[in-house]
Amino acid sequence: MTRLPDDRRPAERTPAERRPAERPQARRIPVGAGIAVAVVALLIAALLSLALGANALSPRLVLDTLAGGGTDESRFVVIEQRLPRTLVGAVVGVGLGGAGALMQALTRNPLADPGILGVNAGAAAAVAVAVVFFGVVEIGQYVWFAFGGALVLTAVVSVLGSAGRVRADPVRLTLAGLAVGAVLSGVTTGLTLTNPDAFERLLGWSAGSLVGRGLDGLAPVAPLVALGAMLALVVAPALNAVALGDDTAVSQGVHLARTRLLSLAAITLLAGTATALAGPISFVGLMIPHVVRWGIGVDHRRIVVGSMLVAPVLVLVSDVVGRVLVSPSEMPVGIVTAFVGAPVLVVLVRRRRGATAL
Amino acid sequence: MLIRLASASVAVALSVALSACTTGVGSAADGSEADASSSSSARAVAHARGETAVPAAPQRVVVLEPVALDTTIALGIVPVGAAVLNEAAGVPAYLGDEAASIETVGTVTEPDVEKIASLAPDLVIGTESRHSALYDQLSAVAPTVFLASQADPWKDNVALVGEALGRADEATALLADYQARCDEIASEFDVSGTAQLIRPRDGLLTLYGPESFAGSTLECVGFETPERDWEDSISVDLSPEKVLDATADQVFVTTTDVSDESTTPEAISDNASAFPELHLVDQSYWITGVGPLGGLAVLDDIEGVLSRTR
Repeated sequence: MTRLPDDRRPAERTPAERRPAERPQARRIPVGAGIAVAVVALLIAALLSLALGANALSPRLVLDTLAGGGTDESRFVVIEQRLPRTLVGAVVGVGLGGAGALMQALTRNPLADPGILGVNAGAAAAVAVAVVFFGVVEIGQYVWFAFGGALVLTAVVSVLGSAGRVRADPVRLTLAGLAVGAVLSGVTTGLTLTNPDAFERLLGWSAGSLVGRGLDGLAPVAPLVALGAMLALVVAPALNAVALGDDTAVSQGVHLARTRLLSLAAITLLAGTATALAGPISFVGLMIPHVVRWGIGVDHRRIVVGSMLVAPVLVLVSDVVGRVLVSPSEMPVGIVTAFVGAPVLVVLVRRRRGATAL
Repeated sequence: MLIRLASASVAVALSVALSACTTGVGSAADGSEADASSSSSARAVAHARGETAVPAAPQRVVVLEPVALDTTIALGIVPVGAAVLNEAAGVPAYLGDEAASIETVGTVTEPDVEKIASLAPDLVIGTESRHSALYDQLSAVAPTVFLASQADPWKDNVALVGEALGRADEATALLADYQARCDEIASEFDVSGTAQLIRPRDGLLTLYGPESFAGSTLECVGFETPERDWEDSISVDLSPEKVLDATADQVFVTTTDVSDESTTPEAISDNASAFPELHLVDQSYWITGVGPLGGLAVLDDIEGVLSRTR
């Protein structure tokens, strides 16, 4: 963990010496190999998600079913239940991983996750309103309310975070997100305390779960995730410069306001969709970018791509664990990610002390 | 979430502490008054928190538990106040027009002690498992009788509510009426086979067992509940993947709108052939309508289903 002693501010370094200084230790895994490992892991996770669940079908029966055979029951379990929720889980992972990576780069805060912008609070408040005032019962119908809530909230936070200034400042953005999020959490709590029905429904939603999530919920929002992912890739190179500080970024020709706007748009699309589909799932957006950075280095193009590949692995595996652990019932995926995520994060922070901070 | 829950509980604790102060001051006067009026005709009622002197014929009753609300109305007394499951929805519609005008005093999980005090009740009926922390405050407002738990056999709770109201015999008669109605349906339709009550929740299916209120009512008319490990609980949760384990000759699924077929959970409608006899039933009394009136409403539904499918 040795950093090169360098008293000069980043702006004073020449580009030639900056590269090794930003990546003090050699990458442990070549980028190509890292990406390949992530893709293989994702495929394995998807297979596990199709093969395992509360209903213990034999691997042979699962294969038969995927090949078009199987029994009525196995077709229902594999094709109607596991296949859609595997797709939803993968998309949720892409959203959370991408949003987490952007969020940490944008705010230059290694502990940032999409929740800091108040995305979860906005989505939860909108779902509470949907349940209490519009009598919405089906989880599938929460999607648009949740997405709308996330969208409105990020817009409000962006405006508040940049009010009276030329550009949005990461610290103000974070504070605005926390403040507005806290207010909305109060509103949500108030609504649900007077209406235990809503409290119960919201409790199920707010744990973060993939149970009963189908293609009908996924189809309309999938393009939004795709758009968010593309924006994330477009904005990632500029975030490398932003990581060095605003002044350096500007001196390198980065348009700060535009970079922040695009990042916020991508974060909202990615995190808003993920939260709308599954409810707030903790730790994924926070932890995965660290895992990726540890694996393949600090370039944000790699971190963004890597996070969008690795986060779905965590979501899918956690979901499988939640399905198998308490059979014949199920445990929400959000609870499993919290159990898995907290220790992993502690290990990572201890191993990479200092180096995770950008 | 944790932070939100924590802050909510702090707020609740504060408001409870505050209301404790206010009711504490007023209760000295109220208490002596209650003692004076009840000294001539007080009865001792044994309940979950010991023994309490209760007026012979309470007139201003506040109920904090659905089974107490249902039973009190069934016994011909309209409570002056009731804690409800959902403040937005108020007192459940199945209890009739008279009940609709009952003042709500917070939710079953969070009753409002100040509001209860303002109604000047002469009897409060609550539940130890839910309202344990409020017992002293409630006792300062009026004589308070606590049921042990809402998960106890519901007929025992009906009997205790009857005793608290000084109408123990009438309560016994209500339970006898319920049993007679069960027997009537059982013999009229010669009921046999299995029945399962399912409540869809968060994508999972909650199956109610023989110990539950509606589950016991299904058994009362002669249905059997399919064998299952009930884990010493009134209900168990089932993953939608295991939906075929929830089949029975008659399957009842709870909903908030029985006329809306689309409220059937997808796991069940996707396997329609495994659920040939599927009936949507009203959650407001099948799940929460614990008591003699709710029991009769459930029995009416069962009779309707049986006469349709005969």
